[in-house]
Formats: sequence, C-alpha cells, structure tokens
Amino acid sequence: MTFFYFHLMPWPYLPPPREFLREHEAAWVTLSNSEYDPVRGAALYERYLNELAGAEQLGFDGIVVNEHHQNAYGIMPSPNLIAAALSQRTERMRICVLGNALPLYNPPLRVAEEYAMLDGLTGGRLIAGLVVGGGPEYYSYNINPTEARGRFREAVDLVVRAWTEPGPFSFDGEWYHLPYVNPWPRPLQQPHPPVWIPGLGSPSTIDFCAERGFGYMGVAYYAPPESFARQASRYWEAIDAAGRPRVPENLGWLTTVYVGDTDEEARAEALPHLAYFAGNLAAGFVGQGKVWMPPGYIDAEALVQFLADLRAGADRRRDGPAALFQAYPMVGSVETVRERLLEWVLRHRVGTVLALLSFGSLPADLAQRSTERYAREVVPWVRERAAAAFAADRDAPTASAP
Amino acid sequence: MSVEVVNGRQVTLWRAGTGQPLLYLHGLADVHSALPPEPPTPLLDGLANGADVLAPALPGYAGSDPLGPRGDVEDAAFHLADLLDQLGLARVDVVGASLGGWLAAEFALRHPARVRRLALVAPLGLDVPDARGELFFGAAAPRGVGGLGEVRGLLFADPEGPAALDALPDDLPRDRALRWFGGLAGAAALGWTAPQLCNPKLAGRLGRISAPTLLVWGGRDRVAPVAQAEVWRGGLPEARLEVLDSAGHVLGLEDPARVGAMVQAFLP
Repeated sequence: MTFFYFHLMPWPYLPPPREFLREHEAAWVTLSNSEYDPVRGAALYERYLNELAGAEQLGFDGIVVNEHHQNAYGIMPSPNLIAAALSQRTERMRICVLGNALPLYNPPLRVAEEYAMLDGLTGGRLIAGLVVGGGPEYYSYNINPTEARGRFREAVDLVVRAWTEPGPFSFDGEWYHLPYVNPWPRPLQQPHPPVWIPGLGSPSTIDFCAERGFGYMGVAYYAPPESFARQASRYWEAIDAAGRPRVPENLGWLTTVYVGDTDEEARAEALPHLAYFAGNLAAGFVGQGKVWMPPGYIDAEALVQFLADLRAGADRRRDGPAALFQAYPMVGSVETVRERLLEWVLRHRVGTVLALLSFGSLPADLAQRSTERYAREVVPWVRERAAAAFAADRDAPTASAP
Repeated sequence: MSVEVVNGRQVTLWRAGTGQPLLYLHGLADVHSALPPEPPTPLLDGLANGADVLAPALPGYAGSDPLGPRGDVEDAAFHLADLLDQLGLARVDVVGASLGGWLAAEFALRHPARVRRLALVAPLGLDVPDARGELFFGAAAPRGVGGLGEVRGLLFADPEGPAALDALPDDLPRDRALRWFGGLAGAAALGWTAPQLCNPKLAGRLGRISAPTLLVWGGRDRVAPVAQAEVWRGGLPEARLEVLDSAGHVLGLEDPARVGAMVQAFLP
C-alpha cells in the first residue's frame, strides 16, 4: 500500500467561478496569460516546491507532478524541471512524473533521455509517467489529435526500447524513424524505471497497461465514483487475462482530500476551494464552459458519452454542495476520511492512493494543516489495515476477485 | 444511401437523378455531417433534377472509413479517382463545397482530364495569409452545457435562423451527434495541421486545373473570407465568381435555390 502526494500547481488568483465563467469560456488554451502575474507566480513556485519536498518528512511514499500547457489549471508545463529540483531537496521518497505527453515531442527520444537523467539525479527514485496528454494540449501545441493514439503507442515502444536495448539501433515505425537510437545516459533502475500511465477510463488504455505490466492510474477525480469502480474491475480482469500477478500498488486512484477537525468544519473550509478547482480551473475540459476536446482524440462514441456525462454532472451541481461532496467523498474529519478511504481501497484493491491536498485556491495554511492530519492520522491507519488485507489476499490459495 | 467498397475501404454514397454524372463533395456542415441521412439537402435534391448526382461521404464521415495513418489530402484525391474508376465514370462534373471544395481542387489538378466542369462553393484549402479565416476547430470545440452556438455562428450568416438550427441544433440527437463529431475527426485527419484546413502548396498548383470553374461565395463567410476568392480566380486558368452578399460559409444550406440555379446554369 503506497500513498502519494499529487500536485497540480494550480493558479489560485482567478475570480470566483460564477464571475469567472461570465467573462471567460475556459481556463485553458485561450485564457489570456496577461492574467498570470509573474511575481505571484514566482512565490507560488516556492510555496508549491516546499509543499512537495515537505511530503517526505510527513512520511509519504512519494510525490506526483504532472504536465499541462497554456492554462491556469497548473503552472507546470515542464514537470521534469520540478522533479529535477526535488531530486536535490529529497532523499528517500519516490518522484513520479505523471506527464511527458509523448505525442507532443518529436522525437520522443527526448523523454527517454530526460527520464534517464532524472533517474540518475534521484538515485533511482523515478517513476516514469508516459501520457497521451490532455485534449487541450492538442490545440495548444497544434498536434493532430487523430494521430494521438498511434503516436503514443509507438513512442512508448521507442522509449522502453531506448532504455533497455543496447544502442545504437535503428527504430522504424509508422510515425518515428530514427536511424541511431543510442541515448546517453541510461536509467539507474534496471531494466528501467516503473512506468505509470494515467487514464480517464478508456478500456483500451487499461488493457494496454495490464498487457505491458505498467501501472494504471485512474485520474478522473471529477468523475462519479462508479466510473472508477468500472475502471478497477476492468483492470483486474485484464491483469488476470494477461496472466500477471495482482499487485495492488499497480492500480492507482486520484482524489482530492481535505481533513478537518469535524466533518462540518472540513466541508466549510474546503468547499469554496473545491468549487474553484471544479468551476474555474477544470473549465476547459470538464464543466459547463468550453470543452477543449479535439475531434479524433477519443472516438465519437466516447466523446458523445463524455458530453452527456458532463451535462448530467452540471445538473447534479445545480443541486448544491451536497452533490459536490458526493463526487468528492474524501472530505471530512480524520475518522470519516479514514473509513471512507479504507473502504474504497479494499473494495477496489487500489494499492496506490494519489491525494490532491493542495488544490484549487486552498490557502497554504489550510493545506498544510489538512496535509499533516492526513499524513499523520489517516495514512498510517489505512496503510496498516490495507496492507494486512492485501497480504491475506496474496497468501490465500485462491485469491478471490475483488 | 448505399455502400461501395473501394480498395477495401468502405464509402457511404448518396446517388440520385439521371443525366451527366456529377460528383458532389460535401462540406464541413452538409449532407453526411450532422444533418439526418435522409432526406438529402435541398441543394442535392435540386442538382439531382437533371444530373446523375454522386455524393460520397468523405473519409471519416458518416460510415466512410478513414484513410488510415498518415492519410492526407493527396490520398483523399487518389481515393476519389479510385471511386470513379470503380463506378465506371471516366469524366464527371465536380461540385465541391467548403472542405469538399478543397478536395475537388486537389482532385482536378491531379486528374484534369477527368473533370468536365468544376464548381467550387466557398472552397477551403487555399492559404491566403492576408485573408485567413477564423479557426474552425477551436470554434467546433463543444460546450459542456449550452450547445453549438459558437460553431453555428462561424458557419452561418444567421446562426439562429432555420437553416442553421436545422443543421446544427443545440440538442443534437445522439445519432446526429455521432455523425457530427465523427465527421470532425475526418476533417481533422486531413486538415488539422497548420495552416488549418489548407494546403500551402495548393496556390502554386491551381494552374493545373484545366476545367472551366465557377466560384460561388458568401459575402459573410468567416471560415474562408470572400477575399480569398480573388486569389482563386487569379490562379485558375478559366474562372468566374458569383458572390451572395448576405450568405455565410455554408451557402448551400443557407440559400440552396440560388446556389443550385447558379451551378446548374454553369453545368449545362
């Protein structure tokens, strides 16, 4: 059982959601960067780096940083830079970059090189995320979205081969042609760092992870809980079909977390900042405003379903805060979050919990207090019970399906 | 609606009428897109009154298979030649609107002897740096809530008029939404890469089109501004231009009677 601290590096200085959406269509692609204040931005980097580095002292197994471009959702277009900075400020915990959107980089050999560097810089603590990139990225970098999946799959092969096969060798694919693949350096972890792939629930991504032995991280924190339930059962079915051992830590779940004194206090403190996260920052790929989801990035069937779900979600939000907490269940007192988290972890055999603790416009002091409570009072309690359950499951002669 | 299989690739085909064969290549919002499959558009209905009209769904649209990895506008033009071969049609009139106008030009310059006369209705494809249109794919990005007003506004001179709301209502039924977004992916496969929905090499090749050409344009086109028409006329060996001042980009839906009459008068 592992617990990661996930940071999106949000921009917290936009007007509140209602006001924001009156004047802007989204927080992505076209929200003018004149809204970005470089002085405040520099201070935010300092705050967020401290939060990430501090996760080590609090006992987290690792941190996760991610990559998005041209938006207020996160000021981290290059997570590799943050990972490099953290390599020098931490000693023990894992550093996961759940970014490096392969189709945006040509040749994607660059990703193999930078990850090998990071693995060396961290003394073998890197977890290498390989991602397709979000829909808005295809507008921002003007990459043909109908090529996204083909380029991604091929680039994954290229990166893994670049790490594991002695160079030089030539790579001749549909999309990439490299006569000399021979990256210096090579990764410290052998044969290569663990690979995690995030997903919003696409069955083909889940199957791909199971077939290749990569970790699958369900990251649709805004989707209703039943969506992740479907992903988890699909993942375990695919693992069984692939004949691989069931390793709970290879299945991850991203969730916002806020731990307060009491349930009521936690809700009161977190609500405006969750609303800012959902209403402002996520506007652009979910929500009521513009959805920068390019044609062909997912097939028409999936896109039409996605839009139908968004509409249903918008209806739910009209029902007020109660509905919001249904979608964000990990908000409450220590006892509440403990029990809900353990129940969730056991029900889906999720061995990796990715917690967004410094989300939206949450002020530094509230984020700090909630993070400490989570790390000191929730994590050890859940870890102990989940680890025992997973061990019993492993030792059972015939593991029962979750 | 029938299905042809061309080189193993499925093509959805609408065909009606008798007379001289007329290949109609559809646009971004047109037959084979968000409109229901039947009945055909009034423009097609009108053209089929006096010609053997063949309107294939372009690759990726309405059940037509996409071209596959790296398929580009040149492959799409060869694909049209293969389709005509299969149907036993050596020489045709070609009418292309919007996206289909671009493909019509790409086809005509590669196979000049196969095109008797060419009518281009607000064609895309030409990169005119001084008169670039607004970005279609950005406008076509949907909204979580609130419908398709933005893309209607880009395509139609009157985005809340009956032609626009008929073609792209805010609450597209599921089957039509699938056709719309599936078609957008077909358009993206051909024309996502900058400059959007253009072939920068097209301008230098227009002189290869030998067929007499009619250009029909909407004066209020925001996707391919009417100023582009002069560049087409200057590059084509034999062309004349008709402008419908009050129409937008999809003038075949906005004013089918006048567009149809102009095209039919040009294709005797």
